[in-house]
Amino acid sequence: MRELEKLFDRIIQRVNINLRELEYDVNPMVHDLIPTRQMTKFYAFYGITPHHPLNLVFKHSNLSGSYFLGKVRVTNSLLYKSDIRGDELKQSGDLFQYQDYNIQVDQDEEISIEDSFLIKTLVHCFTHDPETLENFFIQDTVSTHYANIHGSPTEGCFLGPFSTVDLTTVHDCVVGAYSYVQAGEINHLNIDPGTIWIRNPDNFNFMYRYPLSQLNDYIYFAAGSPPQGVFMDFVEDRKEAFQRVFDVVNIENPTNIPDSASLDRFAVIKPKTHIGENVLVAQRAFLQNSWLGKGANAQENCYIINSRLEGNNVTAHGAKIIDADMGTHVFVGFNSFLRGRPDARLAIGKESVVMPHTIIDVRKPLVVPPGSLVWGLVRNQEELEANSMSLKDFSKINTRMCKGNMLFEGSGGNFVSAFQDRIHHILEANGALFDGNLNRGHAQRNQNISFNTIQPYPKGDKEGLYPTIIIQP
Amino acid sequence: MKNYIVKDLMVPISEYATVPEEATLYESVLALEKAQEQFQQSQYSHRAVLILDKNQRVVGKLSQMDFLCALEPSDANLDQIRKFKRFGFTRKAVALQQEEYLKNSPPILDVYSKAAQLKVADYMQRPTEGEYVDENASLDMALHQLTAGSNLSLLVTKDADIVGVLRLADVFAAVFHAMKESELQLSKGAAE
Repeated sequence: MRELEKLFDRIIQRVNINLRELEYDVNPMVHDLIPTRQMTKFYAFYGITPHHPLNLVFKHSNLSGSYFLGKVRVTNSLLYKSDIRGDELKQSGDLFQYQDYNIQVDQDEEISIEDSFLIKTLVHCFTHDPETLENFFIQDTVSTHYANIHGSPTEGCFLGPFSTVDLTTVHDCVVGAYSYVQAGEINHLNIDPGTIWIRNPDNFNFMYRYPLSQLNDYIYFAAGSPPQGVFMDFVEDRKEAFQRVFDVVNIENPTNIPDSASLDRFAVIKPKTHIGENVLVAQRAFLQNSWLGKGANAQENCYIINSRLEGNNVTAHGAKIIDADMGTHVFVGFNSFLRGRPDARLAIGKESVVMPHTIIDVRKPLVVPPGSLVWGLVRNQEELEANSMSLKDFSKINTRMCKGNMLFEGSGGNFVSAFQDRIHHILEANGALFDGNLNRGHAQRNQNISFNTIQPYPKGDKEGLYPTIIIQP
Repeated sequence: MKNYIVKDLMVPISEYATVPEEATLYESVLALEKAQEQFQQSQYSHRAVLILDKNQRVVGKLSQMDFLCALEPSDANLDQIRKFKRFGFTRKAVALQQEEYLKNSPPILDVYSKAAQLKVADYMQRPTEGEYVDENASLDMALHQLTAGSNLSLLVTKDADIVGVLRLADVFAAVFHAMKESELQLSKGAAE
């Protein structure tokens, strides 16, 4: 196991060098967060489908419990229970549009992870950086529990638990717990926990900051301890349910699913769950006593419990919906936590947008009107009024507006359009709009998938390290 | 322009407002007011107070901006809001967020009475290397230093001592008058 420990030290040193300007020391944050003996316990696995390229290269790394799909290279890294999902990577010959440029993609895009330590992290989408079209790199980076690296090349970064970097190239930054950043390109920033920041330069700029004392109840992370709070308790309470799907080789679908839908064999499906046409259920999703109407989806690390999704609902990576009723075309952003109670349901009206990293946690029934934009912390009617607006009214903003902890500047119309376009793209990509012939997406393409497992050295200095492995067609 | 040197234009330190390090903000602005009344040499009044240590050496400067900044409420959240510019927000947006945050704050008179007792040493700016200029330096040299650092004044030195203050307003006046004079001479020449 000596090699594994050396590798850990090497990664931490490299990240700290990148973060020296911010005077941020990663070591106390992650030392012993995942004991090395834990990293030797789990097999890694990868998917093979007729629809995705297969080109996996693993060198001098630990991959315990992690999943790979597509074209991925991992070097000198520790990946613990992470999902590296390369099913949206650009392919040779694609045209990438950036501003007025139409840029030809010369070779298949690759996710390249080097000198990094990713814990329970999801890597997905494709790089949106025109300067690095074919290389979705993650280097000298540490990410912690349930972070999302979504279409975001990162270099020299520390990502706190439940944080998301989305469509942003990130250099030498610290992104605090439960922060969400979508800002194109950022450098040398230390972003406080609970910062929701969406910026399109010269177009719009949105920021909401959680009151830290209240966010700490949901997620708190400090040196020397694992992440704590409602979010961690919630996933830990359901951890055992995943044990079976990872232990059993041939698993039967626990429910009837239509031909046009896809249910990942590494998802947990509890009784009384209905899966409609064109539904996508990704791995590590958890469904219980819920109704997923036509074209709804549940992405990685989503939990949908005692809830009804009427159809064409996007439930983005890591979002949780409990005791809630969602109208059609409701979008729930990354890592949002929506919790009603059995005797106090939460209802979200059709075509509403729940911003990424929103917490709605109610003990009395709450109704979000159709066509709403909701952000931040909402625990009652008063907080809903403070942290929401109708999409129609938000579209009218032309200069700037401040509402409580939310600050917006720029064109509200463009902001709303950008969200609506992206929601449409996600539905399209997920196969929600499949008509039996056209508009195939992940729900249809992910049906025929095989999984293979790979394992590390069991003993000796190299215990926990995987041998160099190249997997190609 | 080349003929001027710094000491021709500086305000001697004896005519400048000074206070000891232990002074309060209120005592500082009283000293400024007094200096403005006593030493009104030009249309440009004094706009800063020099802070002296017990050896009468200049250790800092309190500008009108420093004084107003000291009146601004401060806490961890406001400090964060003031950094919003690095996230791409305009100054107007930052001010708007501050206003929203402070809408339930105490009345402004309460703020002023508390601020009056604050120590000047906590709000003064300690001069950096680029803010000193020798009394025999050319005005051109002083002008370069002022523009490079966007300073409103420079401390004028004679050997190790500070002997005066060179103010942007006085440099501006000297440059402007020189420009005006040369334009007049040019137009006179053209008429002849």
